[in-house]
Amino acid sequence: MTAEALRKENIPAAEARVPQRGELRPVEKRTITVAVAGNPNAGKSTLINAIAGSRLHVGNWPGVTVEKKEASFEYAGARIRLIDLPGTYSLSPYTQEEIIARDYLVNERPDLIINVVDATNLERNLYLTVQLMDLGIPMVMALNIFDEAQAKGYRIDVGGIEKMLGIAVIPTSATKKSGLDELLKSAIATAKDPQGHLPQQLNYGEDIEMAADFIAGELIAGHPALIERYPRRWLLLKLMEGDGHVQKVTGFGGNLLEEALRHLKRAHGEDIEAVMAEARYALATGLTREVLQKPELPKTELTEKIDRVVLHRVFGIPIFLAAMWIMFKLTFDLSKPFADWIGAMISGPFKRLAEALLGAIHAPAWTVSLATDGVIAGTGNVLVFVPMIFAMMFFITFLEGSGYMARAAFVMDRAMHSIGLHGKSFIPMLLGVGCNVPAIYATRTLENPRDKALTALLVPLMSCGARLPVYVVFIGAFFPKHGGSVLWSLYMMGILLAIGMGFVFKKTLFKGEAPMFIMELPPYRMPSLRSLLIHTWEKGKHFLIKAGTYILAVSIMVWFLLNLPWGVEHKKDSYLGQVGAIVAPALKPLGFGTWEASSSLIAGLVAKEIVVGTMGEIYLKKEAANEAAKPSLGEELKEVGSSFLKAAGESAANITSTFGITSISAEEDAAKAAERSPLRAELKNQFTPLAAYAFITFVLLYMPCVVAAVAMVQEFGTWKWYGIAFGYQMFLAWGVACLVFQGGKLIGLGG
Amino acid sequence: MGISDMVIAVAILAAASYLLYISLWKKKGNCCGYGCSGGGCGKK
Repeated sequence: MTAEALRKENIPAAEARVPQRGELRPVEKRTITVAVAGNPNAGKSTLINAIAGSRLHVGNWPGVTVEKKEASFEYAGARIRLIDLPGTYSLSPYTQEEIIARDYLVNERPDLIINVVDATNLERNLYLTVQLMDLGIPMVMALNIFDEAQAKGYRIDVGGIEKMLGIAVIPTSATKKSGLDELLKSAIATAKDPQGHLPQQLNYGEDIEMAADFIAGELIAGHPALIERYPRRWLLLKLMEGDGHVQKVTGFGGNLLEEALRHLKRAHGEDIEAVMAEARYALATGLTREVLQKPELPKTELTEKIDRVVLHRVFGIPIFLAAMWIMFKLTFDLSKPFADWIGAMISGPFKRLAEALLGAIHAPAWTVSLATDGVIAGTGNVLVFVPMIFAMMFFITFLEGSGYMARAAFVMDRAMHSIGLHGKSFIPMLLGVGCNVPAIYATRTLENPRDKALTALLVPLMSCGARLPVYVVFIGAFFPKHGGSVLWSLYMMGILLAIGMGFVFKKTLFKGEAPMFIMELPPYRMPSLRSLLIHTWEKGKHFLIKAGTYILAVSIMVWFLLNLPWGVEHKKDSYLGQVGAIVAPALKPLGFGTWEASSSLIAGLVAKEIVVGTMGEIYLKKEAANEAAKPSLGEELKEVGSSFLKAAGESAANITSTFGITSISAEEDAAKAAERSPLRAELKNQFTPLAAYAFITFVLLYMPCVVAAVAMVQEFGTWKWYGIAFGYQMFLAWGVACLVFQGGKLIGLGG
Repeated sequence: MGISDMVIAVAILAAASYLLYISLWKKKGNCCGYGCSGGGCGKK
């Protein structure tokens, strides 16, 4: 709107004044856009949650599936929009997170940056700070985890940092919600006077600065539009580093750049990117020396002491294997009584209640069968394993929160290098123990596409939580005395085969050396019970959602497939039975060439828990109606309560007697278990122990589930990698299960 | 199997198929908790 037009519309001059270029409206009248940047593990998410709470909106960054958190709220009369940038160690364009953070800061130009810095790890965090300062965007530093730094005896000269960097520095503790008001006030003050809060320009050293000046002169003379469009300092340094993306979009390079860098290369070497990184590290180190005083430690810190043992060259891997064994043993012992309890409740009171309800509304007889033999036998037999899933997620969360999981990746680094990957690739694989789907998504943190694809191909060999119900039902039936050990053997088999297959892929599809990577080892911490429970719930709840959605849907479909054509006498003649019978001969050498086993495996292609659900539908016979024997509702409720208390007692006894599931009389337990879990009893009639182990091996290894397929296609934009995973896993599953069964028979382990 | 039985069966199968479609394909499955903060799980 022109001044003339304003006059015509009679708008008061003060209100109508159009802000001139470079001039901002007062903060009271506009939204302050604040980008929150920082290293991973600096407490950025906790800080944002503490500030924004329920106002936080979670979405995705455009075009990618990296999570974007955003919150808009009023504070002290100002409207603030917080944008959470992905956690990064630098702004180099190597990972998707780094590219997103960099592109946002460069292209969107927020009003200011809140730079979240881990006060206990100042030097490493300052590397990103140095890069953020190059952008010339007003900045406030949240010196987070300050309380922990103080507790460690660190003395940080906050004023010194402010003076040297020219920015406001606010000590915060996001977990204790301290310093947050000061941080927001400082952010508003910075937004009010951005010119007064611009970060200092850091000196990278004479040679670099000289080259930068030369390029600046050339840009001003020949490409003024570029200087307008991008942050000048950042642009200069990126051009010098030879950033391919920046060179491409600016079209600046060639002889001029060569001339600018000639002296620098002669003095410091050809790799300018490394020279710049070195300069930034030097700045971060120098600044840390100036402002941080660590106490003189008379003895080694606890973390170092523990690391000397768990990261030992020789004992590191055995310790990792032992930790995994203890985890599986505890999972099994703790949750088995509860799983039995849920199984007994589902096949007893809940089944009877469903029959009674459907009978009361005069539902057709087949719908009663659908509800009891389809939905309850299918979904119910999967729900039995909820306690196992939650117990395992609890222990995995504990290992993650304590800092041990990062060590596990570290000790596996050498083994990973033998297959052409580095320890960082082991992290998505460890995540795969919970669920393969997010593990496949987690491969995006790996820098090069070769590592991503290879890791994603190996992730499905990690035994996920969905396979646990299958293992547990077979272990309960065949190996009750050695539950933890059998479970552990399956998980280890997955890891060893991943290493083996990685080696094969390295020699065939992915030739070349693994890049070097510095792995971060966070200090050991005792996770709080609250955080353990929250994260356990976050991880485990999706199993419940699955049970209520596609496992329920597939249970219904399987029931129809087992009962169509309508009026079929034997399940073997049903559609599913016929398909199973066609596949069965291929599974005969593996020891389970029956239509029942193959039908279950076919249904399990959707999700592996469905194998158990389908087995429940196939194997469990319809109980003869026995009205007289049906207990009353009161008796049912009493049974629910008393059996739960009994399960809790057994669970506690198992834990307190160290590894005491064997303390229960096996014979007595087996008899009771058969009564409580009819599926297990039926499986004992259908499989031999050797065939059972071969079957669970096959379930561990055969094709990734449909959801993992979707994740792979989404992540790589092609079906190619899923096709390869499908092919090699089917081959591997058949081969290993055959080896287990035929090899076992050969050495006299039965047939 | 009468007409009413067939109608009920088709309705149940249609509901199950829809449930499968929205949970498995449209929502790209359910994230199992890990790595969700890193942006996995196919959230749109």
